[in-house]
Formats: sequence, C-alpha cells, structure tokens
Amino acid sequence: MMVGSGGELRLVGIAAWSILAFLILPSLIIIPIGFGNSNEIIFPPNRFGIELFVRFFTEPGWVSATLVSLRVACATTFLSVVVGVPAAYALSRGRFPGKRLLALFLLSPIMVPGVVVAVALYIYFARIGLRDGDVRLVLGHVVATLPFVIVTASAGLRQVDPALETAATIMGASRFYLFRRVTLPLIRPSIIAGALFAFLISFDEVVISWFVARADTTTLPVKMFSSIQWEVSAVLAAISTMLTALSALVCLAVARLQGKESA
Amino acid sequence: MVNRTTAAPMVHLDNVSKNYGAVQALRSTHLEVRRGEFLTLLGPSGSGKTTLLNMIAGMTGPSDGQIWIDGRDVTEVPPSRRGIGMVFQNYALMPHMTIFQNIAFPLEIRRIPADEIRQRVMKVLEIVRLPNVAERKPKELSGGQQQRVSLARCIVYNPSLILMDEPLGALDKNLRDQMQLEIRRLHSELGITIVYVTHDQEEALNMSDRIMLMNGGSVEQLDTPHDLYYAPRTRFAAEFIGRSSLIPSEMIGGGQARLNDGSVVRVNRGANAGKGHLMVRPESMRLVQAGNVDAGMNALQGTLQGTLVTGGSITHFVAHSSNTTLIVQELANERRTAFTSGEQISVTWPVDAGIFLDR
Ligand SMILES: Nc1ncnc2c1ncn2[C@@H]1O[C@H](COP(=O)(O)OP(=O)(O)OP(=O)(O)O)[C@@H](O)[C@H]1O
Ligand SMILES: [Mg+2]
Repeated sequence: MMVGSGGELRLVGIAAWSILAFLILPSLIIIPIGFGNSNEIIFPPNRFGIELFVRFFTEPGWVSATLVSLRVACATTFLSVVVGVPAAYALSRGRFPGKRLLALFLLSPIMVPGVVVAVALYIYFARIGLRDGDVRLVLGHVVATLPFVIVTASAGLRQVDPALETAATIMGASRFYLFRRVTLPLIRPSIIAGALFAFLISFDEVVISWFVARADTTTLPVKMFSSIQWEVSAVLAAISTMLTALSALVCLAVARLQGKESA
Repeated sequence: MVNRTTAAPMVHLDNVSKNYGAVQALRSTHLEVRRGEFLTLLGPSGSGKTTLLNMIAGMTGPSDGQIWIDGRDVTEVPPSRRGIGMVFQNYALMPHMTIFQNIAFPLEIRRIPADEIRQRVMKVLEIVRLPNVAERKPKELSGGQQQRVSLARCIVYNPSLILMDEPLGALDKNLRDQMQLEIRRLHSELGITIVYVTHDQEEALNMSDRIMLMNGGSVEQLDTPHDLYYAPRTRFAAEFIGRSSLIPSEMIGGGQARLNDGSVVRVNRGANAGKGHLMVRPESMRLVQAGNVDAGMNALQGTLQGTLVTGGSITHFVAHSSNTTLIVQELANERRTAFTSGEQISVTWPVDAGIFLDR
C-alpha cells in the first residue's frame, strides 16, 4: 500500500493540532487573564495590569501557603534524591534476592491511583499518631516523587558504560570510591533532572496534600483548591500564570541538561 | 621464599572451568603463563576467550578450579585486590575526566602524593608518545590516541600482569599494525606479562610469545606462533591459522600416507595410523611441469584452476583428483615457468613439509 496521500496526511495533521490546542489553550488563556485587572475571570480581560499579582502578595494566606509549599518541595526533593539515587543504584547494579519485588514496590505509587495513596497515608498517619504537618506532607510527597527519581536515575545508570565500572574496579577502586568518582559524576544530569521533577510534582501536588495536610500547614495548591469552592477568585489566574512559568523553567532546565548529556 | 615466587608462573590456572547454566563456556583448563611472557588467547567468536580472561581478572568466578596470580591463590580475591591491569576494546576512559585525571585515577586510589602523581603521569604520557594531551578530554582524541591513553593508565601503576581483550578491535588496519608494534615495544621495555585476547590470527602471530588456540570452550593447542603454524596438531588449528591444503588420506605405516586416488606420499610427523588429513602449507609447495619432479620430493598431479597475484606473492589453486584444492604460494620474483589455467601440472613439496592430522 502507498503511504497515505497528501490530503489524508494533512487531515490527520489538522486533527492532531486541534486536539493539542484543545488541551493546551486553557493553560495559555489563563496567562492573559492573570494580567487582567478585574476581579472576575473574563477572557479577554478589559484592562491589563499587575493588580492580581499584587493581591497575591497582599491578601492574607497566599504567601504563607507558598512558603509551606516551597519548604515541603525542597525537603521532598532532598529526601527523594537521597533515598532514590542509592535505591536506583542498588536496583541496577546489585544482586540480591527479591530485587524485582523491591523494584515493583518502589515504583508502585505510579500504578496505584493517587487518591488511594492519599487515603492510605491519611489512615496510616492517624494510626502512628504522626501530627507534624510538614513531616506528614513531606513523607506523603516522597511517596509520589520517589518513583520518578528512581526512574530517571535508573535511566542515567543504564547509559553508563559497564566497562567504565569494570575498569575502575580492576584498577583497585572500592565500590564506594567507584560510585563517588565514576558513577555519580556520570549520572549527575539525570539526578538533577529527577530532582527538578520531584520539586515540581511536590509543589503541584493536591490530592495527597489535601488528605494529609493539617490546618496550620496548607500548601499553595490546597489553598487554591479550597478557595475556589467559596469564590472564583481571579487571583488564581495570576498564581496559575506563575506556576506555569515555574514549570516551563524547570522543563527548559531539564531539556538543557539532556541536551548536554547526549552531546 | 624468594626462589619460590620467582619460579612461580605469573598466572596459573588449575583445572578451571566455567558454566553458564547449561552452556559450558570453558571446559576444564590448565594454563601457566610465564613471567614476562606475551600470551595470546586466540579463537573464533564464542570460544571462551573473554570468559577465561574475565576469570583471571576476577570479573567472573570459575565454576570449578583454582586461579593463581604471582604465586598467590586469588580464586576468592575480588578484582580490585588482584593488582592487575586491563585494557579494553572500547578504551573505557572516564569521559568526565581529563586525560591527566584518567591516568592519575589508579594512582589516587593508591593514595600516592600529588607531586609524585604528576611526575608519573607525565612520564607515561612520554612513554606512549602523547606528551601534549594531558588537559584534553577523551572524546577530543582519536581512537588510536585513546587506546594509548588507556595503555598509559594501565602501566602507570606498574601492575605485573596486564590483560587485554581485543584492544585493537575498534581501530582500522593501519593503526592496528602501528599499535601492535607499540604494545610489543611496551611489553619488552617494561618486562610486563601480557595476556592478550584476539580473534585475529595475524595479530596473534605477530605479537605473541605463545598462542593458546581455543575452540568451543576448550584449548585446541598451546604453542609458539611458529609451531602453531608449521606443526598444528588438529585440522581446526591448521584451518584457523594461515592457509593450507588438506588432503583426505590414510596412514599406511613407514611414514607414508595413501590418498583417495591411491597415490602415496611421505609424511614428516603426526599420527602413525588411521584416517585423517595430510596438511601442507602453501609456501612449502611448488608448481612444476607435469612429471618433472625432483627426486626426494612428494608430488601430486593436478589441473591448474587459477592464479592470484597479490603484492609480492602469487597463489595458485590446483584441483586434485581427491576432490581437494591444493594451494600453492610462491614469491613473485621466484616464478620460473608460466602456466596457464586448465593445464595439467605437478605440485611438489619436500617430504618433511607434510603433516598428518587424525583429528
Ligand atoms: N554471562 C553469560 N551468560 C551466559 N552465557 C555466556 C555469558 N558469557 C558468555 N557466555 C557464553 O559463553 C561462551 C563463551 O563466550 P566468550 O564471551 O568467552 O567468547 P569469546 O571467545 O570471547 O567470543 P568473542 O570473540 O565473540 O568475544 C559463549 O557461548 C557465550 O554465549
Ligand atoms: Mg570476547
């Protein structure tokens, strides 16, 4: 059979772009609304300005929620890298019984629906009497971010030529020395990418946070979600604009890292 | 004590074998590599060369048997404590380190002071003739240069034994020839023991003190290049190394072999009875006019099929009635008579040039 005719191909192309536009346009429309100066969510806005951003910084609660989110995201990132990278190393290089089972277990949060994880954590934290809001959030988020850190670190480890590790071992390097001087520097871009993703996921997380957060430690997404139940505040558009910018920055950083890695 | 260690071989494999599940990668093998020797493991793909080398390195453990290096039983010793060096086909240089850092790496592991490291790195870079690349990254060097660096990284910490697994496999022909000489030079200048793996017979013949020819996980023959070439013990060895005429025949006693067509020739050495093949190397054979055979030479009649002229040598292919092709190689300036394809001619060879192989 011939490859589809030019007309058919164009049709498929148009369909694909339409679907993409349908999915992406809402996030793009939110940006001009964020720069609108009215209290209602209207598109296109009548007037432009930064009034909504000013309200974000002045209305009570928003900045403190952002600080909680930042704090939690940083701690989550740190913890998931510190646990995830050695776990990925053990899973890819080690030989021990139950390795596959452990891998499945560590990656399972990806497969289990988020709300199930959230309910489970809620019950679990109540059971063990864990009350500290920050710790509850960080532990909850690590469950969600750890698989991503493990997956990116494992992908990096797969790229490392086994001959390099063999060579270092034969030259006399201990396991730890080999990891520190050879493996770690070689997978550094993957680790940074994993860390950035972990940060984004944590900063953006709603479901788990909703279940495990305590009243005094509300994260930004949770506060956004609860505020929208009372009034549709246009400040949300400004916040969304900033979150979009943050995501875009992180994705650009990851793309640059990967470009460097393959170069 | 001193006597014992100097007398001990550098590597000693005692009944070493390796199974991967049902696959027998190496059958029970005995090997002694002498001090300062250049020993090559040669054989076709899958014959167990890498398996054997990796067991000496400690990257895989033997299923059975014991391995001794420098008089010490290292069977249970991890690779990082065997005190050996290894050179890989793909160089295995650390891409995130400069050439200097790469070569300094094994010295840093040994906690050698920084100024001594600098001296030693610069010295080995001189030895491998790359004095000006210290600050470059590996990918800024050519393949040949990278392999020199990996040699430098190996000799810089003076291992008494260096293992090389097809180190020239990734280089083109010219560079390979040059690097063969380079490695030979390092070997004799530094007096190190080298166990070298290749499936390139020419490389093995050029470089080795002895060659261990492997086939299907067992040792086919362990000999000097000369003996392996002129006195192969099996048909596999004869066919794997160089070219030869292999004529089906049967020993009939008195150092004589009878061919399928009834003709009888004299044989130098080999089994005394049984069926097998008579092997003669091409350069031992000469073409002469039919019947014009010198006394004391073996001779067979045949039809000249064709002639190839390659550089300084001429190769003739002669069909013999036993359904074998005889290969005759002469030097270009040695030709006395011109023969044409299809002509009936005689092929002669000295009586001591034929070897009978019963396997
Ligand atoms: N890790 C392994 N698991 C299973 N079988 C293996 C393994 N390593 C090697 N083998 C098998 O052992 C045999 C010998 O392999 P080896 O790598 O030693 O061959 P080689 O002589 O080095 O070949 P080549 O010239 O292709 O490198 C082969 O049949 C191979 O398939
Ligand atoms: Mg091999």
